[in-house]
Amino acid sequence: MTRRPNWVAGGLSCVWLAVVLLPLWLMVSWSVQLRQDYLDQGPFDFPRAFTAKNLGDVLSSGFGDYLVNTAIVTVFSVVLTLALALPAAYAIVRSRAWLATASFRVFLLGLAIPAQATIIPVYWLITRLELYDTLTAIVLPTVAFGLPLAVLVLAGSLRDVSRDLYEAMTLDGAGPFLVFVKLVLPLCRASVTTVGIYTGLNAWNGFLFPLILTQSDELRVMTLGLWNFQSEFGVNTPALMTGVLLSALPVLVLYILARRWLVAGLAGVGGK
Amino acid sequence: MTTHFSRRHFLGLAGGTTGALMLGATGCGGSSGPGGSGSLTVWSLQDPVQNPIQKAALKRFSDKAGAQTKLETFLNTAYTQKLRVAMGSPNTPDVLFNWGGGSIRQYVDNGLLQDLTPELEKNPEFKAKFLPSVLEAGRIDGKYYGIPLRGMQPVILFYNKKLFEKHDAQPPTTWAETLKLVDTFKKAGVTPFAVAGAESWTQLMWLEYLCDRIGGPDVFGAIAEGDKSGWADPAMVRAIDAIADLAGRGGFGTNFSSVQYQTGASPLLAKGKAAMHLMGSWEYTNQLDQEPEFTKDGLGWTTFPAFEGGAGDPKAIVGNPTNYFSVSKRSENAGKALGFLKQEMGSDTYVDALIKGGDVPAVADIEARLKDSPNPEFAGFVYDMVRDAPSFQLSWDQAIENKYAQPMLTNLQKVFLGKLDGKGYAAAMKAA
Amino acid sequence: MTLTTKAPSAGPVRRGGGVRGVRPAAAPDRTPRPGSLYILPAALFFAVFAVGPVIGVGVLSFMEWNGLGDPRFAGTANWERFLGSGAIWDATGRTLLLTGACWVVQTPISLAIGVWSAGRQRNRAVLSAVYFLPLLLSSAAIALGWKAILDPNFGAAKALGPLIGYSDGDLLGDTQGALLCIVMVVTWQFVPFHALLYQAAARNIPASIYDAALIDGAGRATAFRYITLPQLRNTIITSSTLMIVGSLTYFETILLLTDGGPGGATHVLPFLMYTEGFRSYEMGFAATIATALVVLGTSLSLLIVRFSGFAKMRSTLEGI
Repeated sequence: MTRRPNWVAGGLSCVWLAVVLLPLWLMVSWSVQLRQDYLDQGPFDFPRAFTAKNLGDVLSSGFGDYLVNTAIVTVFSVVLTLALALPAAYAIVRSRAWLATASFRVFLLGLAIPAQATIIPVYWLITRLELYDTLTAIVLPTVAFGLPLAVLVLAGSLRDVSRDLYEAMTLDGAGPFLVFVKLVLPLCRASVTTVGIYTGLNAWNGFLFPLILTQSDELRVMTLGLWNFQSEFGVNTPALMTGVLLSALPVLVLYILARRWLVAGLAGVGGK
Repeated sequence: MTTHFSRRHFLGLAGGTTGALMLGATGCGGSSGPGGSGSLTVWSLQDPVQNPIQKAALKRFSDKAGAQTKLETFLNTAYTQKLRVAMGSPNTPDVLFNWGGGSIRQYVDNGLLQDLTPELEKNPEFKAKFLPSVLEAGRIDGKYYGIPLRGMQPVILFYNKKLFEKHDAQPPTTWAETLKLVDTFKKAGVTPFAVAGAESWTQLMWLEYLCDRIGGPDVFGAIAEGDKSGWADPAMVRAIDAIADLAGRGGFGTNFSSVQYQTGASPLLAKGKAAMHLMGSWEYTNQLDQEPEFTKDGLGWTTFPAFEGGAGDPKAIVGNPTNYFSVSKRSENAGKALGFLKQEMGSDTYVDALIKGGDVPAVADIEARLKDSPNPEFAGFVYDMVRDAPSFQLSWDQAIENKYAQPMLTNLQKVFLGKLDGKGYAAAMKAA
Repeated sequence: MTLTTKAPSAGPVRRGGGVRGVRPAAAPDRTPRPGSLYILPAALFFAVFAVGPVIGVGVLSFMEWNGLGDPRFAGTANWERFLGSGAIWDATGRTLLLTGACWVVQTPISLAIGVWSAGRQRNRAVLSAVYFLPLLLSSAAIALGWKAILDPNFGAAKALGPLIGYSDGDLLGDTQGALLCIVMVVTWQFVPFHALLYQAAARNIPASIYDAALIDGAGRATAFRYITLPQLRNTIITSSTLMIVGSLTYFETILLLTDGGPGGATHVLPFLMYTEGFRSYEMGFAATIATALVVLGTSLSLLIVRFSGFAKMRSTLEGI
């Protein structure tokens, strides 16, 4: 852009940096203190002594299991979303079947529907399908309400594939399935990332569906685990903060190892 | 209400559903779910102290009666909803944990729970084992549906002894003294009463006691039975106004609406930033766990003060009389369920285990045994308090019909915020 | 609610299952096309688990159901209660207010950060790596973290409250303060994501346009006003739509941060839906609130789309 340094923007960017970092710093600083120190010191004071006790407390209260459950929900949600959305996007771009056209319109409308508003019929449906209190119960509606965005992102990128490529493959004698596997899938790689990351984060962070559709301790996901910590560790803010930070650890690792990929994937939601 | 046919039809449909989901939930393969297999299924709350005691009791019963038993536990937050789904099916648990009152009223109304009155009348010595005020509190429409299963949890006025010594003050016995104490502590820069305004169930304790002191237990009793006009009862209006007055005087400090129970109100008392805290008896265990030193030499407790000219007995108490075990009407193991409750709930072994766990069981004539409690002094206080109480009113949010609980709490928050007075509260509850 | 879109591929719409198995020929219009089979699974799945529940919400709004028995037809009782309830109107107003406030606060900030971080300078890259950190936390984690921070006695609210006029740190316990807190937490949580969208879009603006403007002597502000903003138009629409539909997910934040309090000051429609359905067990009435939410969400999104130009809508939505 311009070569002259932009002082106004620079100053504001530092303000925002403080806004982002201050809460994070407080959480980190509290999570490494003992409860008594946290209560006796001021909130902004540097930890008097560091402790790993909170970490031990959180880990020994089943947080690992919650993360595993969340991971299962996330993986299955992403896989199922892609398995449904990829062929659907292909059909929307290439098919002349009326179903493809009609579905596309429904998906467009579906973008505007707040998933949370449907929780009561979803609850009814899930209990009638005998899926209540299973991880499947979380995956199904999560995938359903993620589908519109997934299909549209994938279709958007497929639209850019030039017709010549399809024709070239056809000349080689490929049927629609072969075109799908050999042409569509490789070309969609960038938007598959986007869909995967977006769906994955949604599933990872989901709260309402697990809250209503599951109950037993063995099936608790990370977000509900955190909520539960509030009553279990209610007295102990440092332990709660440890749980909060720990819940972000897997995503943080991903962020550190593959930041570009994660950021590019998320940005893909906005289209080109 | 609904027709007989549709109800049956639905139950038939839902039966398979819940059976399957419970298999999914508990991972218990094999048996055909609770109720059907002859195995006695007991549902309870997850609790590290209580669950082993309950398991041991079940084992004693199964050893003696030769019946299979199973204890399934759920977290507090999940339990109500989970129970609700299960109760809508034929595969209900045989014995179910509950809070009595409104928490089971709809099940009673739908004919899902066994009336235990005949059983108690037939076995007077079993009935006599429990404290009458606690047994009474579990009654619905004059019938008994629950057997007390654990300790009593009356609401108690806790105070910081050191602060009282420092300011040469005595715990209040009347409302006038209470108001005087507010001034004393305010002048000293100490919050008179810690209250967790962000969690309105803690504020409800104030209304429960004040209404009881001013008008006696029947004022809310009528409301719990479904008479909404009780909200406009002069005693209720006066109780609300008294709260608004206390809040207006700064009795709860200025920022109590942001305060949480466990992270706020409890540490405020322990750290000497607040002088008193109205809370359930579990607060003792809570403080003992978090602030052992303060609990040993700084934590005091007393009864809620009398209200001058009030019709209520100053010995009356509110809180959670206890938790109850009820028996499902559709249980195929009803006989075993009753056998279990009769054999264990009043037995010395079971009661001793509860006492050792820090509970104060709702069982008659156990004063001598309370010395085995981890905190005999406090346990003795709680026991005497309940034994001498003319009435023990169940927490209103448990006693009232589900749909009124939320408005009751929300509007009470407004009273504490100074946005509603007694008349306004009555009008808001009438509209709810 | 007709959202007319062009069929993705021009040409006659053929009924049936496409042309699977037909031998390919040289003519371009004879290329084999995927049949309905490719979209059927997604369409069925969406119909059962999304469209069905949406219809179900509408149907249930005319029923009475306490979760114990079967839903029973209740006529328009729920709707009468809905329209006659002051609490509902308050909550509707508050929902719109909150949605509006969050949009007004978030959009300029994310736009500014997005455009700023689109620059290729090294320091900007480092800073934006930090800016995006809140993305890593779930709503639940963020709400619980902030709840501790906003504690008036042991958290940071005691020190920070006076800066914005709450001398005793009573932010969460104040009627306006609680709403302010929600806007604040939501902004902290979601600005990074929207900034990311703007960053990606700003990077796609050809540098040559700016160069031309510089030659014409345009200043930084002028360039932003006449080049950047128009170029980001589609992203603004996309981001706004996501923000507005997403504003309903603030429910989790409210449940965990204020639980609707103090005294109902943060009762918004999604929160009332939850408490009516799963605390009061008035499922029919909860479904009525949910129906209103669906209508509200859909019409707001359509409004933006229409407001911003019909033709643009297609490309935006398709580009999402």
